[in-house]
Amino acid sequence: MKMPLTFMLNNQQTTLEIDARQTLLEVLRNQGGMTSVHRSCEEGECGACTVLLNDEPVNACLVLAASVQGASVLTSEGLVKNGKPHPLMKAFTDELGIQCGFCTPGMLMNAYALINRAGDNLLTDQVIRKTLEGNLCRCTGYVNIIKSVHTAQKAKLAGEWW
Amino acid sequence: MPDNSAGNNAMENSVMKNFIGSRAMPDLVYHSPKEISDLLSMVDAHGTSARVVAGCTDFIPSVRTGRWCFDQELNLIDISKMPVLNQIEKTDDVLKIGASVSLTRILESPEIKEGCPVLAQAVAQMASLQVRNTATMGGNICMASPAADTVPPLLVSDAWVIIQDAQGEHKVLLTDFFKGPGRSVLTSGQVLTHICIPVKKANEAAWFQKIGTRTAVIISVVSAAVRVTISNGVCDTARIALGSVAPTPVRVAEAEQFLEGKPLDDQVIAECARMAAQAISPISDLRSSKEYRKDVARTLVKRSILACREALK
Amino acid sequence: MKKREERLILGKGQYADDLEFFNMAHLVFVGSPHAHAKIVSIDIEKALALPGVITVITGKEVAAHTRPLPVQANFTSKGWTWRLADVYAIPADKVRWHGEPVAAVVAEDEETARRAADLVEVAYEVLPLAGDLRTALAPGAPKVYDDWEDNKQVHLVFDFGDPEKAFDMADQVLQVTNREGRVTGVPIEPRGCVGMYDTKNDTLEMWGSFQTPFLSRHNIAATLGVPEAKVKINAVDIGGAFGLKIHAWKENVVALASKLTGRPVKWMEPHRDFMATGPHQRDVFWDGKIAFKNDGTLLGLKATVFHDLGVESTNKGIAALSIFPACSSPTNMYKWVGMHVEGIGTVTNKSFYCAYRGYGKDKGIKFIEAAINQVAKKLHMTPEAIRMKNFIQPHEFPYHQINNYVLDSGDYPAVLNKAMEMADLAFFRKRKKALAGQGRYLGIGLVTAIEPAGVAVPNCQMGGITEARVLITPDGSVEVHSDRTEIGQGVEISHATIVADILGMDMAHIHVKRVTSDFIGQGPLSSRGAVYPASAVAKAAKLLRKKVVQCAGSLMKIPADQVVLEKGFLYPASAPEKKISYAQFADKMFFFPGPRGLDPEILKAHDHLLDVTTTWYSPTTPESGSSYTSFCVSADIAVVELDIDTGVTQIVKYVHVHDAGTIINAQVVDGQIQGGIVQGIGEALYEGLNYDENGQLMNTSFSNYLIPTSVEAPDIQIAHLETPSPFSETGSKGMGEAPIIGAKAVILDAIEDALSEFGIRVNDAPATPEKVRKWIRQASGQNE
Ligand SMILES: Cc1cc2nc3c(=O)[nH]c(=O)nc-3n(C[C@H](O)[C@H](O)[C@H](O)COP(=O)(O)OP(=O)(O)OC[C@H]3O[C@@H](n4cnc5c(N)ncnc54)[C@H](O)[C@@H]3O)c2cc1C
Ligand code: FES
Ligand code: FES
Repeated sequence: MKMPLTFMLNNQQTTLEIDARQTLLEVLRNQGGMTSVHRSCEEGECGACTVLLNDEPVNACLVLAASVQGASVLTSEGLVKNGKPHPLMKAFTDELGIQCGFCTPGMLMNAYALINRAGDNLLTDQVIRKTLEGNLCRCTGYVNIIKSVHTAQKAKLAGEWW
Repeated sequence: MPDNSAGNNAMENSVMKNFIGSRAMPDLVYHSPKEISDLLSMVDAHGTSARVVAGCTDFIPSVRTGRWCFDQELNLIDISKMPVLNQIEKTDDVLKIGASVSLTRILESPEIKEGCPVLAQAVAQMASLQVRNTATMGGNICMASPAADTVPPLLVSDAWVIIQDAQGEHKVLLTDFFKGPGRSVLTSGQVLTHICIPVKKANEAAWFQKIGTRTAVIISVVSAAVRVTISNGVCDTARIALGSVAPTPVRVAEAEQFLEGKPLDDQVIAECARMAAQAISPISDLRSSKEYRKDVARTLVKRSILACREALK
Repeated sequence: MKKREERLILGKGQYADDLEFFNMAHLVFVGSPHAHAKIVSIDIEKALALPGVITVITGKEVAAHTRPLPVQANFTSKGWTWRLADVYAIPADKVRWHGEPVAAVVAEDEETARRAADLVEVAYEVLPLAGDLRTALAPGAPKVYDDWEDNKQVHLVFDFGDPEKAFDMADQVLQVTNREGRVTGVPIEPRGCVGMYDTKNDTLEMWGSFQTPFLSRHNIAATLGVPEAKVKINAVDIGGAFGLKIHAWKENVVALASKLTGRPVKWMEPHRDFMATGPHQRDVFWDGKIAFKNDGTLLGLKATVFHDLGVESTNKGIAALSIFPACSSPTNMYKWVGMHVEGIGTVTNKSFYCAYRGYGKDKGIKFIEAAINQVAKKLHMTPEAIRMKNFIQPHEFPYHQINNYVLDSGDYPAVLNKAMEMADLAFFRKRKKALAGQGRYLGIGLVTAIEPAGVAVPNCQMGGITEARVLITPDGSVEVHSDRTEIGQGVEISHATIVADILGMDMAHIHVKRVTSDFIGQGPLSSRGAVYPASAVAKAAKLLRKKVVQCAGSLMKIPADQVVLEKGFLYPASAPEKKISYAQFADKMFFFPGPRGLDPEILKAHDHLLDVTTTWYSPTTPESGSSYTSFCVSADIAVVELDIDTGVTQIVKYVHVHDAGTIINAQVVDGQIQGGIVQGIGEALYEGLNYDENGQLMNTSFSNYLIPTSVEAPDIQIAHLETPSPFSETGSKGMGEAPIIGAKAVILDAIEDALSEFGIRVNDAPATPEKVRKWIRQASGQNE
C-alpha cells in the first residue's frame, strides 16, 4: 500500500511517498538519501542501521517506516553542521575509532544519545561498553571506540557540542 | 531470535523451499489505532488477515528469515502508538503494564523497580538498547518463545495477562497462557492488552539469571527465576521458573514444594536445585546440548536461591 | 591528516550498497536448501510472471555463456595429490552445499527480486552426504566431485631439516592433538557490486567490494571469455574484508546478468548469504609428536594436519594453497633439528574455504605454541623458560629456518620480557594460588609468535606481483596508486605518510587513489600491504625524489644533493629564503621546463616528467625460496577467570607486545592489533560454524554466529618494540594477522591453566561455556 509519510528527518520536515511494507532503513536509504544508515543483517543484530527515533537509538531495519509518521528521525548526516563534523565525529577521527567505517554511523548515533543522556556524569568504560553492545564492530576491537566516546564527552563538557 | 521455535499464525506456510538470504516483506496495509475500541473492531474486521504488532522486533526478523510467510495482504495493526496501552500503573497490590510499554521503559520505571525488581533485572539482560527501545513485553510473551526472558520472572511473580476481544476482557494466568513453542491461548481476534503482577512484599525476594554462549545480546541457553517469601526463618512460598528448557517456559513444582517449609540452608538449596534440574527434559538444538542445559539449570537455580537468601538477610 | 576517515565520518562513504546507476536492475540469488542433491528441474515461469522481474539465470545459462571458474593455484607438477574441479558459478547438474546458488533473479528492484526468488521452483533429488572430514574420507564415501577418485583434494608432504635425527636425539616425545572449529571472518558489510556491460564497446566495468581488483579482473574476464583489457574493476569503500572479499565468483553472475540484460545490475548480498555461501576457514585437526630434550631443548616435530575444506568451487586451488603455510609455520621462532609435516585437505558438503586473517600460517603457530606449553608442563618448566631456551637470538639474523624461511630481524627475548613485565606475571601467579582455595579459578596464558608476511609463492595467483605509481601533478599535489585496497587497515594514512616523508611534502597534498584493476598487483592479502605495496610506493617516491632534486638543482644551479625538500617547499640548503613551492616547481616542470631552466641532459632523458611507476619484489624470496619476506614478533599474555559451574570465561587482563619493525603510524598499528586480538578471542570462545546431520548450516546470523561485542572485548595493553626489517623498503613488517594468532592461542592456554586442577587439555576451539562444562564433567566423572 502506497502512502505519504511526513516526519522530521534530520530536523527538517520531510514528506515522502512510501510503501507500507518498507522499513525505515529502506526509506532512509532509498527515498531519503541517507546512505550513512548502513544495511547488513536486516534483523536487528548488528546495529549498523542505528538511527535516533525521537532521540532514542533504534535499529532502522526493525522499524516500519509507516510507524514514524510525525516522529523525529536523526541520522549521522544530521549531526553535520554547515559541512563541519560534529565534535563526536571529530573524536572518532582523532582517536581512530573508525577503520572500515561500516559500523561507524550506527556507533555514532548510539554514542550521541548516550553522551546526551549522561549529562554531567562522566561515563565509565563499563557503561559505554554496555550501551554499545548492540553495535557490532569487526575491525577495531572496540578499544578506540571507547576512547572516542570518552574524548567526545570531554568535548561536550567543554561546551563544544551541538 | 526467531530461529528455533515455530510461528503462531494460521496463515503461516512453513514449507521453506529455497535458501534466500533475506526475504521480502509482505504486502501490508498499515493501521495505527488510538483507542481500544478501534483496535478491537479492526482486529475483528480483518480476521485472519490481521496481525497485531508492537515493537516489530520479532515480526520483521520472522519475515526476513522466511519463518513466517503470508500469501495474502496483511492488515498490520500497530499498537505501539496507543496511549492507553502505554502506561505503567501501580496500586498497593498490583502492577499493571500496558502491552505497548517498551522494554526500556520497564527497565527505567521506578514503579517496576519497587514492585517487581526481578522483571527489571531480566529486561536489563535482554537484547540491545536499540531493540529494547522498541520491543515490548507483550510481544515477548505473545511470541511464546521458550527463551523469552521476561517470562520466567513473570511466572514466579504469579503474573496474569488481560486479553481483550469483541466479547470483552479475559484474565488469564500466565501459567495457563502458553501452549507450545510459538503457541499460546491467543486466537485470531484477540489482543493482549495488559500484564498484571502482584506487587513484591517485604518478606520476599526474587532473582533472575540467564546464561548464553556470549554475555551480551544473547538468546538464553537457560534462564532461571526464583522468588521466595520467608517467615520465621523458613521458606513460606517458593516459585522457580526456567526458560529454554522445555517447549514453553516452565515452573518446576516439585522443587518449589520441596523448598517450602524449610530453612534456606546450603544443603536444602543444593537439593532443591538438583530437583529442579531433574524435573526438566530439555532438547539439544543449535544453541546448546540438553546435557548442558540440565547441568547449568541446576547452577542457575542454586545461585538464584542463594541470591534471594542474601537479599533477605 | 585522515582524509578518508573524515569523509567516511561525515557520511560520505560510498560502499557497494550505496551505488546507484541510471536504469539499474537488481539481482538476488536463490540458494539450495539441500547440502547435496541432483538438480532435477528448475521452473522459473512463476518467478518470471511476477511484474518487475526481468530475467532468471540458472546453471544452464551460466554454462552456455561462461567458462568454468579459472584455476588460481595448481601444484600438480610436484607429484603431490592436488585435485581441481571443473565448476561454474551456478551449477547446472547438482548442488554441493547448503545455500549454493541455483538461480539468480534479476528484477527492477530488490524487493521484487526477493519475492521472485521464492517463486523459483527447483526439484531436487537428495544425495547422501559427505558432511564432515571423517565421513568424507571413509572408504566408499559419497563423492563431492563425481569424477574424482575420492574426496581427498590435497596431500602435501614436507621434510624440513632432519626429522629423523631430531627424534633420535630426543630424551622424550609427546603426542599432541589440537582441533580448531570452522569459523568465518565475516566483516559487518557483506559483499556487493554493480556490473555494467557496455554493449556498444563490448566492455565491462564493475564497482564493488573487491579486495583484489586486479585478480578479480583476471578471473571475471576469463570466466566471461572477454579480453582482460576490456574489463575494469573498481574497488569502492569496503566495509571490512579480512580476506573474505578476495575471490570473484557470484560477481561473475552479476557481470553475466548485465551482459544479458544490457543494464547495470546490482547485487548486495544479504548477511545470511554471506555466512552460508561465504568463505570459511580453520576447521583443522592436528595430530603430532614433538621431540625434545630433558633440559627443554626443542628438537623436532612429526605431525599431520587434516583440513575440512568444504567444496572446491569458487576460487580453485586457493583453499588447498593455504595448507602450505599451515605445514610450514610450526617452526615459529625457535631453533629446530627437523620436522616432518603432512597436510591433508578434504572436500566436504560445506561452503568453500578461502582466506581469513591467518590463512594457514596461524594454524601451525597455534599448534606448536600449544605443544610447547605441553612440553613445558611435562618438564615442570615455566612457559617463558622453555621459550627463552629455544628462541633464535638477536645476533643470528637473518636466520635461515629449516623450512627455508629467512627470518629478517627481531629481539624475541626482549619482546617476551616486556610482556611479562607489563602483565605482572609474578603477581598473577601468586593470586592464582591464593584464589585456588576459595573455589575461584584464575588462569594465565602465555604464547609468542612471529607472523610470516608478504607472500610470494609460485604456481598460483599470489606470486608476489605488485605495482605502484607516484606522480606529482602540474598543480604540485601528489597522486599515489598501488594495488593495496583500503579495507579499513589504514592504507591512505600509511601511504600518505611514507610519500610525504620522502618528498618533504604536507600530507594534505597527497592523494592516495582508489584501487582499480589498472594497477598490477595481488592486493592486500597475507599482510603484504606493508611489505610489497608499501615498499613499491616508497621505492617510487624515492625515485621521484631523485628526479625532483635533480631538476630543482638544475633550476637553482646547485648540485642535486644541496636541494632541500621540506613542508611543501624546495630550496638550496645554503639559501632557505630562495624557496619555491611544489606548485611553482611542478608547473615549471610540466609546462615551462626549458630550454633555459633545465639542463638539456635532463630533458633528453625525460627526467623532468615527475611520474614514476615501479615495482618491488622481495630480496630474500628468489634465492631462499622463502615465501615470506618479513616476520613481525609478538608476545601475548592473558589472565582469565573461569566460572567452573557455568563454564563461562572472563578475561581479566590482556597484554600484547609487538615488534613490527618501523612504525609508520602507531594509531593504525594499534588499531590492527586491537581488532585482530578481539577476532582471535571470538574464535577462542564463541565463534563456530556448525552443520547439522543434514548438512544444514546452523549459524547463518549474528544471533548464533557470535562475534564479540563491546561487552566481551577486553581492555588491551599494548607495547611496541621497533626492530626494522632489513628487507622491506621502509623497515616495516607486515602485521595484520599476528594479533589473531596469539589471541586465540593465549586464551585457550589460559583456560587450560585455569583448569589445571582437573588436568584438562584445552585442545578444541571454541571453548564455549558448554564445552568447558563438558570437559569438567568428564574430568570429574560426573554425568549429569
Ligand atoms: C537483536 C535481538 C535480540 C533479542 N534478544 C532477546 C533476548 O535477549 N531475550 C528475549 O526474550 N528476546 C529477545 N529478542 C526478541 C524480541 O526482541 C522480544 O521477543 C521482544 O520483546 C518482542 O517484542 P515486540 O514488541 O518487538 O514484538 P513484535 O515483533 O511486535 O510481535 C511479536 C509477536 O507477538 C504478537 N504480538 C505482539 N504484541 C501483541 C499483543 N499485544 N497482542 C497480541 N499479539 C501480539 C505479534 O503478532 C507477533 O506475532 C531479541 C530480538 C532481537 C532482534
Ligand atoms: S541492519 Fe539493522 S541491525 Fe543489522
Ligand atoms: S570499523 Fe569496520 S566494522 Fe567497525
